[in-house]
Amino acid sequence: MSELNLKAFAAAVAGAVAVASFAAPSFAQGMGGDTKGKEKCYGVSKAGENQCAAANGAHSCQAQSKVDMDGNEWKYVEAGSCAKMGGKTQAFQGKGMMPEKKGG
Amino acid sequence: MWLEAQRAFQSTVVGTNDTIAPHVRAAYGPLANRIAVYRNTVQQSLIDVLATAFPAVQRIVGARFFAALARDFVRTRLPDVPQLSVYGVHFADFIASHEHIRDLPYLADVARLEWARGEAYFAADAPVFDPAVLATLEPEQLASLKLKLHPATRLIASRYPIHRIWAVNQPDVTEVPAIDMSIAENVLVSRPAYDVIIRFVPSADATFVQAFSQGRSLGEAAAEAMGSHPEFDLQTALQNHFIHGTFASMAAA
Repeated sequence: MSELNLKAFAAAVAGAVAVASFAAPSFAQGMGGDTKGKEKCYGVSKAGENQCAAANGAHSCQAQSKVDMDGNEWKYVEAGSCAKMGGKTQAFQGKGMMPEKKGG
Repeated sequence: MWLEAQRAFQSTVVGTNDTIAPHVRAAYGPLANRIAVYRNTVQQSLIDVLATAFPAVQRIVGARFFAALARDFVRTRLPDVPQLSVYGVHFADFIASHEHIRDLPYLADVARLEWARGEAYFAADAPVFDPAVLATLEPEQLASLKLKLHPATRLIASRYPIHRIWAVNQPDVTEVPAIDMSIAENVLVSRPAYDVIIRFVPSADATFVQAFSQGRSLGEAAAEAMGSHPEFDLQTALQNHFIHGTFASMAAA
């Protein structure tokens, strides 16, 4: 505590308390307030949906093509936003299978 | 025999083999199609769980790459517990060690951020700290005060600009800007009520928050943050923590 200027410390805390109280803070709402009408949803229901369609074995699942892709999709990283953001970092350029975007 | 069949079924469903074959009667059509029904249900469901939990990661690498990545993960790791909301706790580490992601060293930290967001969402509900009680304390009492982090509070420190990367990969962002990947950013996750808050915090503030997780008092935490980061703005940091529910109510302890 020797490095701490107690007076400045207390002033900063008091300032924070004052501003936070003024700023319609979340502690004033507790677990009520703006949570009205909201309901917490447990689990991932979307992912629990059964993807399978045909029971007769003629074809297996509507999403089967997604599962059946082999190693080729590793080159599809360009489809995402990483290239637009600047993609890889300097230190990692030239390695791996990313499409080369040097100078981009 | 039954246990052996179950193991063969599991191996077939999570993998790419057909060890279940000797246990299957032949009368109901091609075996490969029948296996695919189960395999697809299990693997695609888990892949979809990961896509739901890691939307920014998916957007960064694209849906097809993500599906391949997620499928690799699914095949090496079955759920530890029968609860889909906790499936994916090891995904960030998996990304960090994956040979095809070495070009994107920030991706694992983006995954950690998204996982922290999910953890905060499912964390125990708890009232947040009400700073009004501080107004009654003397400076010495303030300095020795122990504040507890809220159960939903998570800090993610990164060598990369993960807050920016995460922010520009939200669904409503259409124009993804270029980002200087040499900037290090820390993100603080909190959930004062039902909405998860994700915000950037300066590294001084990250040191400050970390001190509380190590049991330091308010004064000790402030001294630590100032000691390593002379620019630390205690008042601004603290008021944001109060507003965004970083700390738990003392009464609840």
